[in-house]
Amino acid sequence: MKKAFWIVPVVFVALAIALWRYYSPGGAPTVVVYVSHDQVFSEPILRDFEKETGIHVRAVYDTEETKSAGAMNRLIAEKRNPQADVYWANEPIRAEVLRQQGIAAPYISPNGLGIPETFRDPNGYWTGFAARARVLIVHRDTSPKPTSMLSYTDPRWRGKTVIANPLFGTTTTQIAALFVLSGDERGHAFMQGLRDNAVKVSPSNGDSADLVARGEFAFSLVDSDDVVNRMKQHQPVEMIYPDQGVNEIGCFVVPNAVVLIAGSPHPAAGKTLIDYLLSKETERKLAFSDAAQIPLHPDVAGPSYLQPIASIKVMKVNYMEIASKLQTILPFLKSWAGF
Amino acid sequence: MEKRLTLATAAALLAVIGLLPVLAMVASSFHISGSFSLKAYQALLASSQQYALLLGRSVLLSFLTSALATVVGVPLGVLVGKSDLPWRGAFAVLFTVPLLIPPYLIAVAWGAIVGKGGWISQAFPSATSDLLSAAFFGLPGCTVVLFTAFMPLVMLLTTTYVGVVNPRWEDAGRLVSRWPHVLRRITLPLITPAILFAAVLVFLLAFGEVGVPTYLRYPVYPLEILTQFAAFYDFGAATAAAIPMLLVTLAILALEYRLLHNPILELRAVMPGATRRQIALGHWRFAVFGTVLGWALLTVVLPLAVLLIQSASPSAYIEAFSRASGSIVRSLAFAVIGATALTLLGFCCGYLIHSRALPLWRSVDALALFLFTLPGIVIGIGLVSLWNTPMTNAIYGSPAILILGYLAQYTVLPMRITSASLDSIPRSLEHAAQLGGASWFMSLNYILLPLAKRGLIAAWLISYVFCLRDIGISMTVYPPGSDTLPVRILTLMANGAPSLIAALCVILIVVTLLPLGVVSFWLRHSARQS
Repeated sequence: MKKAFWIVPVVFVALAIALWRYYSPGGAPTVVVYVSHDQVFSEPILRDFEKETGIHVRAVYDTEETKSAGAMNRLIAEKRNPQADVYWANEPIRAEVLRQQGIAAPYISPNGLGIPETFRDPNGYWTGFAARARVLIVHRDTSPKPTSMLSYTDPRWRGKTVIANPLFGTTTTQIAALFVLSGDERGHAFMQGLRDNAVKVSPSNGDSADLVARGEFAFSLVDSDDVVNRMKQHQPVEMIYPDQGVNEIGCFVVPNAVVLIAGSPHPAAGKTLIDYLLSKETERKLAFSDAAQIPLHPDVAGPSYLQPIASIKVMKVNYMEIASKLQTILPFLKSWAGF
Repeated sequence: MEKRLTLATAAALLAVIGLLPVLAMVASSFHISGSFSLKAYQALLASSQQYALLLGRSVLLSFLTSALATVVGVPLGVLVGKSDLPWRGAFAVLFTVPLLIPPYLIAVAWGAIVGKGGWISQAFPSATSDLLSAAFFGLPGCTVVLFTAFMPLVMLLTTTYVGVVNPRWEDAGRLVSRWPHVLRRITLPLITPAILFAAVLVFLLAFGEVGVPTYLRYPVYPLEILTQFAAFYDFGAATAAAIPMLLVTLAILALEYRLLHNPILELRAVMPGATRRQIALGHWRFAVFGTVLGWALLTVVLPLAVLLIQSASPSAYIEAFSRASGSIVRSLAFAVIGATALTLLGFCCGYLIHSRALPLWRSVDALALFLFTLPGIVIGIGLVSLWNTPMTNAIYGSPAILILGYLAQYTVLPMRITSASLDSIPRSLEHAAQLGGASWFMSLNYILLPLAKRGLIAAWLISYVFCLRDIGISMTVYPPGSDTLPVRILTLMANGAPSLIAALCVILIVVTLLPLGVVSFWLRHSARQS
């Protein structure tokens, strides 16, 4: 009995170490990528990359949906001794923060040259691809339909709308973009309008989309992939690209962004991965997957339920300015959100 | 000498593994742009009114969760561990299941039941379902979910410790009174340290919980820390924000010490060969059985049914295995290694608390408890700051960093369980061995370890469960390409199909229960042999 008492843990640990070693990667060429794009969409792309290049991908996934921000925090904490080669950000602001903190390295990929300059850092510190649009998810029974982001402040919708917490993710970015475009005064007025109009704050875009789909709210500002997913699940929602009128501000577009990490352990493999992610084929795959990302290469066709980028009136903003503005308005957003 | 050296080494190990990363974080909170600054703490003070409100909410939620878990968990633990309740083994397993999955997922499952558009809304009038839904998204919902998730801890610890109460005391009590009186006057007072520890544990777990309050839209204090990390990337401010949590922890610890100032632990003693006494429920047997069954159906089976129904297709499981087979194996391996390392370190620290062999025993206890309270991301970032250097790449770049993280955060669990187990062994046995010339290691090997076996197994199992379900540390430090199953579930939740997520949750439960089954089988087998 006493012998068994010792043998059992020893056997357990030996077995565990054996399994761990079995599942550890061997000596194949490797690239380490930190990913903030949803794993369910990004993992198949990285697996295809492995198959096509023979380079083993070791990924760290993150999700803005759960606010973990693990990948960004790791990149910042690892600055002195970088472990990652590439960062696949789900929006360019995080990439811009990395540039500002000296964590990004410049790399201009030949595959990124076809992407409009609006969606690229001029010095190559990050390059955008495969974008989401910030759209309105509207319950099918809602009438009349909202057409603008400013509908949030229309008294007609008092207490009937929901927005994701403006402290996190693409909602923060869009609010910062509004501050850049309209100025601080109108930005503050818009946020006050949200409060006055009893706009509900939800934990995330996904939750907002679910609340609208369940009929608890009339509409919400979310990412286009959130709407496409609910539409594919035959939920009673519609997607409206906001502010498309002649004198309106346009729809805010949030591309993914890819960054080469300064001092990374495998820079050559990192560049190969960046080239792959910026290729037309990757954009096509992301467009036709459930990620429903809008291709930024003008000659890549997307599915019918996504408007081509050229046909959308895009909000004209500079992502570097948005990143800078974000730092200044975050304390205000924090107090607005009640934290 | 060998005893003091071993215990000092264990204490030093805990300090290096747990305290140094936190000190690194605290040091960084005083440095902004390379120079000394109190800005993070000034900001904390400037927002003190707002923070006090959030802290108050956190304390209220934790208190309600802990009180409910204790009120329900202790009687359940006694029924499962000491009575002739039918199916008590099955109940023990069933009630433990919610502890095995991240609480966030339990909230999601409950949301599908009581949220708008959920099962309740289809079965009841809209006014009822609206009322339930409104209550769910707030303090009541958070309390119910966290209570469901953490109550098993109280139940398991109660079950374990009612089993080690010296039957002679209960026999003596039974000569003059009935079981309820014996339980109230003898059994429960004897296991008060374990119950109090379980209540503190639940309080601290609820206190540090972020996922459930976020999902159920109830702002609590740990969200402030998360916000500093996730929105501001400000490690210094995040660390400063953790200080009030430290103060609450210290207050809880002080209260616990005060309540146990005059312990009656010496009364407790496990005698080899003594048989356990069972409470015969008599006429009440089936009424109690019905109540427990109803409670299990409502609080455990119902939310689990959501997961099972959502995952009820072979394709969901095929996809789950194709996407997560590596994560499943890794989780299992990391949890086994982590639990074994935790049990070893926890035993040494627990022995130190029990024997008070070194003057710093109270500091070790406080440190372990403090580390347990800290949000995993704070410890995780501290580990990155400390271990991510070219010299220590072999540790940082491997799963060893994850094991260090588990040791930092969860040592308090095996430590306290071991300490309570050792308290139940008469000190005279160890003293007799010493007088007979046995070394400390010999008395450990031949006397203490065999007698504390039950507690050690409980310590290993609880450590295993906590390592397996960990998200905070794993998410922050897992080596690239080596994620664990809970992390994978979390990252797949963003736009992942509900059936896939549900299937992964079911797999996580099964993976957790498998080793528990092996241990249970082994215990029964060895009991039959002896």
